[in-house]
Amino acid sequence: MKRKHRRLAIVLACGLGLGSAAALTLFAFRDNLVFFVTPSDLASRGHAGETLRLGGLVAAGSVQHATIDGQPAVRFRVTDGRSSVSVSYIGVLPDLFREGQGVVTLGTLAPDGGFVASEVLAKHDETYMPKDVVEALKKSGHWQPAAGPPPPAATWNTLPATRNGG
Amino acid sequence: MTHLAYILPAYAVALLIPALFAGDAWRRLRRARARLLVLEGGRRR
Amino acid sequence: MLGVVDVFSPTAPPRGARGLHRFANPGRFLRLAGRVLPWASGIGLLLAAIGLAWGLFVAPADWQQGDAVRIMYVHVPAAWLASAGYMALASASAVALVWRHPLADLAAVEIAPVGAGFTAICLITGSLWGKPMWGAFWVWDARLTSVLVLFFLYLGHIALTRAFDSPERGYRAGAILALVGVVNLPIIKFSVDWWNTLHQPASITLTGAPTMYLGMLWPLLFTALGASFIFVALVLARLSAAVMERRIRALLAARAEGT
Repeated sequence: MKRKHRRLAIVLACGLGLGSAAALTLFAFRDNLVFFVTPSDLASRGHAGETLRLGGLVAAGSVQHATIDGQPAVRFRVTDGRSSVSVSYIGVLPDLFREGQGVVTLGTLAPDGGFVASEVLAKHDETYMPKDVVEALKKSGHWQPAAGPPPPAATWNTLPATRNGG
Repeated sequence: MTHLAYILPAYAVALLIPALFAGDAWRRLRRARARLLVLEGGRRR
Repeated sequence: MLGVVDVFSPTAPPRGARGLHRFANPGRFLRLAGRVLPWASGIGLLLAAIGLAWGLFVAPADWQQGDAVRIMYVHVPAAWLASAGYMALASASAVALVWRHPLADLAAVEIAPVGAGFTAICLITGSLWGKPMWGAFWVWDARLTSVLVLFFLYLGHIALTRAFDSPERGYRAGAILALVGVVNLPIIKFSVDWWNTLHQPASITLTGAPTMYLGMLWPLLFTALGASFIFVALVLARLSAAVMERRIRALLAARAEGT
């Protein structure tokens, strides 16, 4: 075996060992690598008083605004399609907050099964679309943003749009 | 345009950092060429 | 131009040298780099200028994000190049460790700072995008954290290659670090699919159609391609300078010995 072949073999063997070690480590710590838990996770293993991040979609038609001591307050349900949790939050919501939008909330689980949030972050999806296109899809009945994810990009990615999106 | 307070610094950073690298690389090239010219010229004479 | 260095014939490679070692001749590399450099910089600047102007002034705003989506045209190319640059760093390191190619060590040393620069752009612009959209400059989700780790790998490589008295030992240590760090690349790529993250999954994938309006996709492709050419041009310029600097050190050492 030539020396450079031996060096190549050593590098490849080290890479294989390192790769499997990393994969095993990531697998072992997978519960700690998630940024948030879903309502289903919470239903199966949530404890009251626990501080955690809850993530999911804002359920359509669930948002109720109020004012408590001059502060804006909001109550909404976070859903992952299978399970949903009622969330209450006092404070200013991010611009992207809307029904059907992804959110991640930091807070504690109350004994009644509700979630009291101290922070709400908006999670946007990987779809980028001008406003004109959204209006066209709504008008033609192809998509209601509060109801679910948008249709395949090929059906809308060449529709006309102005710079400001109308 | 909305969010200009975030867009402008983002574009500024994205232009400034490569510009700094380009300036540094250009200075290094010029200096190295000049020194090589002196050294090589001196050797051949 | 680089013509001045054409005259010397340093450490001529053995006759019949084939494969990668054809480029081991520093003079030949400098001639090649000197020819490629103006084209790479010119094309890169042109594409990036078109893409940025297109993205800022022509492309439509996003229906949810408004004009903040325009940060994408600088953030995404920087993110792609941060990973691609690390791939280049690791490849150079593998070539240096296994085949002892004389240019590979220098290439690794010169790629790392450029990669770190583009990773910094990615992190800063991402932060400036996250604040108005998500509501936070920074969160410790798997995507953001793994890109921060990538930045520290670059910084570690820069520090390590300069930490030894003998450059050879620094190159060796840096190459090993670079190869170990490759483990982070699939983690960055798939973090958004494997774990719940605040960062959204990829819009542009090899397997499916981009989930992006075409009027936004085009300027992004222009800035991404332009930034790639600029990255290559920066590395070529730095590597050319490094090759000449090594030649200068050798000449000075020879002269000091001769007197």
